Amino acid sequence: MAATQATPVKYDMEVVRWFTIAAAIYAVVGTLIGVYVASELAWPFLNFDLEWITFGRLRPLHTNAVIFAFGGCALMATGFYIVQRTGSTALWSNKLAWATFIGWNLIIVSAVVTLPLGWTSGKEYAELEWPIDIAIAVVWLMYGFNYIMTIGIRRTSHIYVSNWFTMGMIVMITYLHVVNSMAIPVSMTNSFSIYSGVQDAMIQWWWGHNAVGFYLTGGFLAIMYYFVPKQAGKPVFSYRLSVLHFWALSFGYVWLGAHHLQYTALPDWTGSLGAAVSLAMIIPSWGGAMNGMMTLSGAWDKLRTDYILRFLVVALAFYAMSTFEGPVMSIKTVNALSHYTDWTVGHVHSGALGWMAMVAYGAMYHMVKKLWGVEKMYSEGLVNVHFWLATIGTVVYVVAMWVSGIMQGLMWRDYDEYGTLTYTFVESVSAMHPYYAMRAIGGLIFNIGTWIALYNIVMTVRTASAARSANGVPANA
Amino acid sequence: MDVQAMTTNDWLGVFFLLVAAVGMVVTYVMVFRPSNKERFESQAAMALDDEDPIKLGEKR
Repeated sequence: MAATQATPVKYDMEVVRWFTIAAAIYAVVGTLIGVYVASELAWPFLNFDLEWITFGRLRPLHTNAVIFAFGGCALMATGFYIVQRTGSTALWSNKLAWATFIGWNLIIVSAVVTLPLGWTSGKEYAELEWPIDIAIAVVWLMYGFNYIMTIGIRRTSHIYVSNWFTMGMIVMITYLHVVNSMAIPVSMTNSFSIYSGVQDAMIQWWWGHNAVGFYLTGGFLAIMYYFVPKQAGKPVFSYRLSVLHFWALSFGYVWLGAHHLQYTALPDWTGSLGAAVSLAMIIPSWGGAMNGMMTLSGAWDKLRTDYILRFLVVALAFYAMSTFEGPVMSIKTVNALSHYTDWTVGHVHSGALGWMAMVAYGAMYHMVKKLWGVEKMYSEGLVNVHFWLATIGTVVYVVAMWVSGIMQGLMWRDYDEYGTLTYTFVESVSAMHPYYAMRAIGGLIFNIGTWIALYNIVMTVRTASAARSANGVPANA
Repeated sequence: MDVQAMTTNDWLGVFFLLVAAVGMVVTYVMVFRPSNKERFESQAAMALDDEDPIKLGEKR
């Protein structure tokens, strides 16, 4: 197949618009719940003795909202956008894309209902009960099938690297979700994992870390490899490195899960293997981060005026930082200090806020302008305000958790001259209070930024629609 | 290493490990082979080549 632009392509972008708006809304809701649960840890009276809003019930709602609602809608919006534009083709099935949008949102609604009611499988990042797990598999396969079939009908000869990352995510998340969610149902709202004991733990973190690897990293790298060159107006610094980045991540990530289970009943060698491969993964991860940053060679001056590019570049900085920090934390000596502490929470959020959310917002701002056919956002200044709120909020959050986590680890392992523990557990909890308050404030700063982004996006859409009406252009023209 | 104690699962694991390792070596050789450089790098600007205005609306 030869690349051709002879016939103008009429893309299916309405569904991409809806996924983009949904992502902006879910970012507000997901981070707001996060701020509330963080506040509950700092000021426990916020539980109000209502079981539906306790930390244990709302925390999985927060993680599901930010990962699968915000992250999922951002991934599906950008996925459908990129696959069409790099393939010079419309979607294989627009109807299937709409069914995916409706199905994915129904799953999100079901999570909002079931998790506060305490209906959970108890598996981290896979808390939803078995009927919803089946629905996730069906809707995910609809997305994946449509995506891969769209690749099949592309009019370009080459499959761009972003599409490889997305297809890697689609294949691996299908496999991981199905295997991890295998359960014996005892009612519509309760089930038990078919795995037991140490196998259950191993499967749990095989899923957990690969969800990070293929969904939160691979999926968002697809965004990075398309939108960084696009926004910078520069080709990818090294396409060869991007190919290597994809395959090294795909080969390497699947081995890492056991590093979440150091010093447990798991065989010792599995943790060592997980740590060794984790350290090896610094090489492709940093190669990819440098590849993204070097794409700006000769265009660094754009950072002064292009606020969207700022989101993308800072996201790459956080990606590099998180993919160094994670392997370091997987080393047994470091893990002995860091595990079960807030350091892990800080690490997760430097990735989730600094990398995932920032790169998603960079892409969303870029797409909003293209999708609604405007030169600028409603307020470019508000994009800048959002950028600084997101950056400062993330840094405040992560620093609070670093200090808190390392202090926790040091307090828990400290012995006095008689060989007894220096501090009680309650004393360590009490020492965390200022940092928990600081974490809630950092999260709140980030959340305010998401409100501003939503306002800016909605106003951009309204302004664009008003302009089109004034010019007599139909809304869907 | 106690080869006699290796289970079917262990051998399967060894097999997939070797496949992955060989696959990785093949990928490195293919990507860094000088004769392949032009073929790969010619795609670097692909994201920039789709700048036709998007025709908003539905295909069907």
